[in-house]
Amino acid sequence: MSRKLTVIPEQCSGCRICELVCAIKHFGVNNPKKSAIRIINTYPHPVMRMPVVCSQCKVPACAQVCPTDSLHLVDGVVQLDKENCISCFKCVEACPFGAIYAHEECDLPIKCDLCGGEPECVINCPLGALRMIPEHALGEIKRLNNVLSYTQMREIEFYEKGEKKVIQYAEIGKEEL
Amino acid sequence: MSIKGGYFKRYLQVNLTDKSLERRELPDAFLQKYIGGRGFGAKLVWDNLKKHDFKINPLGEENLVVIAPGPLTGAYLPSSGKNSFVAISPATGLYGDSSIGGGFGVELRQSGIDALSITGKAPELSVLYIDNSESSIIPMPDLEGKTCLETEGIIRERLETQTAHIATIGPAGENLIKFACVNTDWGRNAGRTGFGTILGSKNLKAIVVRGHHDIPVYDVQALAAEANKAYKYLKEHKYYKLWQQQGLMNVIDYANEKGILPTYNFKDSVFSKIEQINGDTMLSDYKIGDAACFSCAMGCANICLVKNGKYTGTVIEGPEYESCAMLGSNVGIDNFAAILAANQLCDEMGMDTISTGNLIGAIIEGYEKGIISLADLDGKDITWGDDDAVLEMIRKTAHREGIGDILADGPRRIIEKWPEMNEIILQVKGLEQSAYDSRAGSSMALAYATSDIGAHHTRAWTIAREMEEGQNWSDNDRVETVIYHQTLRPLFDMLGVCRLPWIELGLNEKHYEYFYQHITGNQLTLEQLLALSKDVYDLTRQINVRLGVSRKDDTLPHKVHASPALTGPNAGKVVDKEHFQELLSLYYRSRGWDEDGIPPDGTESKFND
Repeated sequence: MSRKLTVIPEQCSGCRICELVCAIKHFGVNNPKKSAIRIINTYPHPVMRMPVVCSQCKVPACAQVCPTDSLHLVDGVVQLDKENCISCFKCVEACPFGAIYAHEECDLPIKCDLCGGEPECVINCPLGALRMIPEHALGEIKRLNNVLSYTQMREIEFYEKGEKKVIQYAEIGKEEL
Repeated sequence: MSIKGGYFKRYLQVNLTDKSLERRELPDAFLQKYIGGRGFGAKLVWDNLKKHDFKINPLGEENLVVIAPGPLTGAYLPSSGKNSFVAISPATGLYGDSSIGGGFGVELRQSGIDALSITGKAPELSVLYIDNSESSIIPMPDLEGKTCLETEGIIRERLETQTAHIATIGPAGENLIKFACVNTDWGRNAGRTGFGTILGSKNLKAIVVRGHHDIPVYDVQALAAEANKAYKYLKEHKYYKLWQQQGLMNVIDYANEKGILPTYNFKDSVFSKIEQINGDTMLSDYKIGDAACFSCAMGCANICLVKNGKYTGTVIEGPEYESCAMLGSNVGIDNFAAILAANQLCDEMGMDTISTGNLIGAIIEGYEKGIISLADLDGKDITWGDDDAVLEMIRKTAHREGIGDILADGPRRIIEKWPEMNEIILQVKGLEQSAYDSRAGSSMALAYATSDIGAHHTRAWTIAREMEEGQNWSDNDRVETVIYHQTLRPLFDMLGVCRLPWIELGLNEKHYEYFYQHITGNQLTLEQLLALSKDVYDLTRQINVRLGVSRKDDTLPHKVHASPALTGPNAGKVVDKEHFQELLSLYYRSRGWDEDGIPPDGTESKFND
């Protein structure tokens, strides 16, 4: 089953633990700026903390511009052929998400390799803002939210063995019918 | 002894008057002895004091401000985003420091230095730009009067940088109000003791840092293994989720329940409208996102937005407990949206929320009691919970208009103008008391009286422990707990990490020994690190002693001795004067200081290296 690294920006606090663990895993150094994931903060309009991750695109824009054909989709991961790469950084510019990175001290572009399937960033994210989701489940949350937006959630309180409980149910907007 | 990591072993020395920017070496002996952060600051400030024969005008060119993260700042371990500001404070005229979280200190380290020191005064409003190994002073006089957040936005555009971290001052700093703060990362402040004021006096509108260097770590894999243990401990803690959800806002209910919440300028210590300003209200109506400092899994900050009513569109990172209590219950405001608006205004003006809420509360009570007249208030009355009047007072203080001009000069000036206000304002050494009532806990009172920066809870926060221990707690335990806090908590400021994982979730302090060892390769134990921290406390005391401090200044606000809270679990309680003096003597003896609170002969020579 193929899984995708997915971001839930609403959950991100901007703590950058993902950046740290990525750099430690791949470079063995404590340097958040040598990571293949970055948190972008915007403020105050809009307020966002958004991890930028490689989508491992099936038609990778980075691979298309690579002059030495050093980027290939293998087993769901766009992999960089380090021997062949000439460090022109065309891929960094071409990625529509800005998810490949350059660092002055690094010869090669910094490209996410999903840590072989169990990404450190996902394991260590304290808020679950990064997830590995089966490909067939992508968009499911949005679909559900979209469906729910057509209904109005109502609540009733009731008592069960002296304990107050709340039940929620969806009521279809009658006025629109 | 050898330092194999943790430091770049140099700091940037800036003199704004002659525009010199010099990178200077930091010898291993210095690094080992003063560790970083507040330790570096205290030592460099001490050296500067000696150079000027102990005569320093806090707003003069000669005042040296040190901005220093620590050897652990930016490293992979829980909550390593702290950075200290140290100088002689314009609020107290004594040693002052303040620390910020966020990512400014991490970025400062990544530019390849361990600290930054600034003296002098720029001829016109300027920005200090540190871009990796290159640094420059850029005049930007057109930023005059811009708010902190506007300034950050303009600088980002002008210097074309989205990833730099920027520290700014607002109009309050430019106008030299004594409790102006330094704002970083869109709303994280070095709040106390007037660092915005000092930068304002130096014509320094902002400090921009950007860096990409590896943070030197001696043994990355050992550090990661230790950090993972600590993160795992936090994750399994029963209050971990509560901290992520409510952060410091969960303290509001706690403080109210225990009867230590500042209410109506400490006339009371419980607030009847608590449910309108507590964490649950924030969660249900205002919170739109989490925020965390660098490498922090607890993420105690909240992003709040007002979605309706007259404050619609107000958005801030915050409030945290202190801001919510001081701008809320302390001035009688029961509308959470108004608290957010007041907090946002303080952030924009660049002024400390604790001092601001404390002083406005005192003014309201002074007016209520007839000490301050309507004419003194420029003809506009102010009562408890009048949010419009509170916001107006903040604005007037930042711009020094009318009565704001007096507030801007802090408690000493207010007492000078209206001597009876001495019984109303809660302050020690000229610094307004923060948001934990100490009348119910003599250890907390002792903590405020003996804190080296004035009545702030950062050095020791023993109130929770005292509530648990109750009346049977021995004086000896009270004193020893205050001293232990005053030793461990400043150690966090020296290492450059946050103390909340320890104080709130009980992360064992032993972890920090391992973090320090893996990062520096230097085998100091926790006990040795604590001993160094205790030495720095002697140093900051010695700085204050040289500036005139003795037992006569280790006092408590009038109210703490004389006017108890009216209701709640601690109604009727005050700190007995004689008992307090006994505690103070016990405290001095335990520290090895004399009856007058003076460290022994030979203390100074320890720091003349």
